[in-house]
Amino acid sequence: MSHEKFLSAQIGRRTLLASMAAAGASAGLSTLGVSRAFAQEPEKPAEIIIRAWGGSWVDALKAGVSDSFTKNTGIAVRHDLTEDNEIQPKVWAAVAQKRVPPIHINWDTTTNATKSALRGVTEDLSDLPNLKNATDLAKPVGLDGYPIVNTYGYVYVLAYRPSAFPNGAPKSWKDLLDPKLKGRIALYNDGIGFHFPAQVAGGGKLEDIPGNMQPAWDFISKIKEQQPLLGEDPDFTTWFQKGEIDAACTISTNAREAKKNGIEIAWVVPEEGAKFDTDGLWIPKGLPENELYWAKQYINHALTKEAQQIWLDGLGLPGVIPGITPPADLVGDPSYPTTEEDFKQLIRISAKVQVENESQWFAKFKEIMQG
Amino acid sequence: MRAPRAAYPLTWRVMDVLERLAAIVWPSSFQRGLPYLMLMPALVLVGLLVLGLVQIGDTSLRTLDTNTFLMSESYTLANYQRVLTESFFATVAGRSLVGSVIVTVITLLLAFPYAYLMVRTPSSALRKFLLVALFLPFFIGQVVRAYGWLIILGNQGMVNEALGLVGVPPIRLLYNYPAVLFGLVQYMLPFAVLMLAPALTAIPGELESAAASLGAGWTRTFRHIVLPLSRPGLVGAGLVVLTLSLTDFAIPAILGGGTQDFIANAIYDQFFRTSDQGMGATLSLMLVAVGSMLVGVVFMLFGAGTLAMTGDRK
Repeated sequence: MSHEKFLSAQIGRRTLLASMAAAGASAGLSTLGVSRAFAQEPEKPAEIIIRAWGGSWVDALKAGVSDSFTKNTGIAVRHDLTEDNEIQPKVWAAVAQKRVPPIHINWDTTTNATKSALRGVTEDLSDLPNLKNATDLAKPVGLDGYPIVNTYGYVYVLAYRPSAFPNGAPKSWKDLLDPKLKGRIALYNDGIGFHFPAQVAGGGKLEDIPGNMQPAWDFISKIKEQQPLLGEDPDFTTWFQKGEIDAACTISTNAREAKKNGIEIAWVVPEEGAKFDTDGLWIPKGLPENELYWAKQYINHALTKEAQQIWLDGLGLPGVIPGITPPADLVGDPSYPTTEEDFKQLIRISAKVQVENESQWFAKFKEIMQG
Repeated sequence: MRAPRAAYPLTWRVMDVLERLAAIVWPSSFQRGLPYLMLMPALVLVGLLVLGLVQIGDTSLRTLDTNTFLMSESYTLANYQRVLTESFFATVAGRSLVGSVIVTVITLLLAFPYAYLMVRTPSSALRKFLLVALFLPFFIGQVVRAYGWLIILGNQGMVNEALGLVGVPPIRLLYNYPAVLFGLVQYMLPFAVLMLAPALTAIPGELESAAASLGAGWTRTFRHIVLPLSRPGLVGAGLVVLTLSLTDFAIPAILGGGTQDFIANAIYDQFFRTSDQGMGATLSLMLVAVGSMLVGVVFMLFGAGTLAMTGDRK
């Protein structure tokens, strides 16, 4: 089917729509950036399934990418809210058994996705046309090609309740050691986001990662004395809301969402820095050819400026396509890095180093926290 | 002369047909195989379990290669060595074992009077109330119940609000070991009562009356009559509560605040967070082994209780 035929078919199905809508669809197709690809457009599946995180995360994806993709192609998008670490073994098993995987696209942390890439279960995405418009952030560090396409970055900030810090915002991760915060702080239950700033706060150097992480473990041991709560993204919002904690190391998106919901919360990037990481999209191997094609078109669409603008407005995160306007409330915010100066405050370690050492770091963190 | 239809009703004819069909499907020469056929569901069930354990055993002998995230081709005892030498696993295993024993003791102490009252009360209204109160929690899942405790015991929960009315500042009632044990006891209580009630029902009330008529006080009757005769129920309930507590996941995860993991939480982490199926399988096997040994010890010391379902054949 030719590109023109594709357009005709779409408009034909929308004969009841106003001409504005047709024009919009046409404009949307051009943003897909796959006009030549549509020349050999394969059969469309009834739907494609995207694994996503729930709450405001999936709302943002739907508003920014999925709805416009459906509008442009007529393919429905179903969001599978299975946890990222729970879908992983299912996908791995499906690929190993040469079955069709349960999802078309996994919206995943780059660290988690890197494991799948190293295992060889990801499709190569190097041929996506819109990658040429993307910044270096889209490229996974330490991997060949594009087994994953990073779609935005995020920062593990120090979120805090302003009323608990009457003398002003905390400046350092060491401020969490204040005795008045005993039992009032929270970290992720696998320590993610905290290891690297802890290395600096503990007097160590980032260059020593992963060879010598002792300063990080020493600092985390001090934090343990503060009896922190350990949880996942939704827990932080609940704990802030219910008055259980006054400070947490969490992704800025969660803090911003909590603030939107009326919870008294602010955040900083402390002087030791904060971990910067990325999330991405990847496609598992084993999909039928036509479904693989349309899954790639979805990711390609996610790399358009229009889709990124809406999607990342919702998440409050910087994307990988230049020219995106930051949300008004995040202009100049260190959790929304846009300049080289902003990135100097942030700590970025390659996903490959992270996954190779994750098991050991996890065990050490658990040993300290469960002791 | 044809026999009247009423002499050989239609239902009999149907039964004849069914019997002939049954004889074709299962001829009388197969009768000796019937007991084996009845064993089939159990054999299939146990067979699947054994197959699963063999698979888990195989995985437990492989280590994760973090360069490829594939399991090693060769066998090694490295995972077992880690489990036995790393303090984290000892901490979690110790917490689970001690916790499950404490939960079992407290649950039995609470369940016994509940079950006794439910069985012996002359008031049918009270019995119905106790039964409803017993079954109601079964309609509410474990996770929902745990979240309920978050609402009740949280810093801004009902208990702290009540304490606030008398000037007591908020107390951290959640996210610690006692909170996990409390949640487990609340979850296990109905199981224990359900296991105890049949054993208590089986004790003839006349025995207690006879003891009383011979001058025994309630305490003496309880000690020498009720308690010994209810032992099968106590053993059965204790085993169920012990094994369920030992393997519980949700309550430690929700009420423990991330710092009170049980073995099941550690297994989840290995399978789903670090993707180390070998270590997850090792922990799973060791949990099965420890649980089985505990059950074996109880069987040896106290017998199998109501779980044995023994009885003299007549």
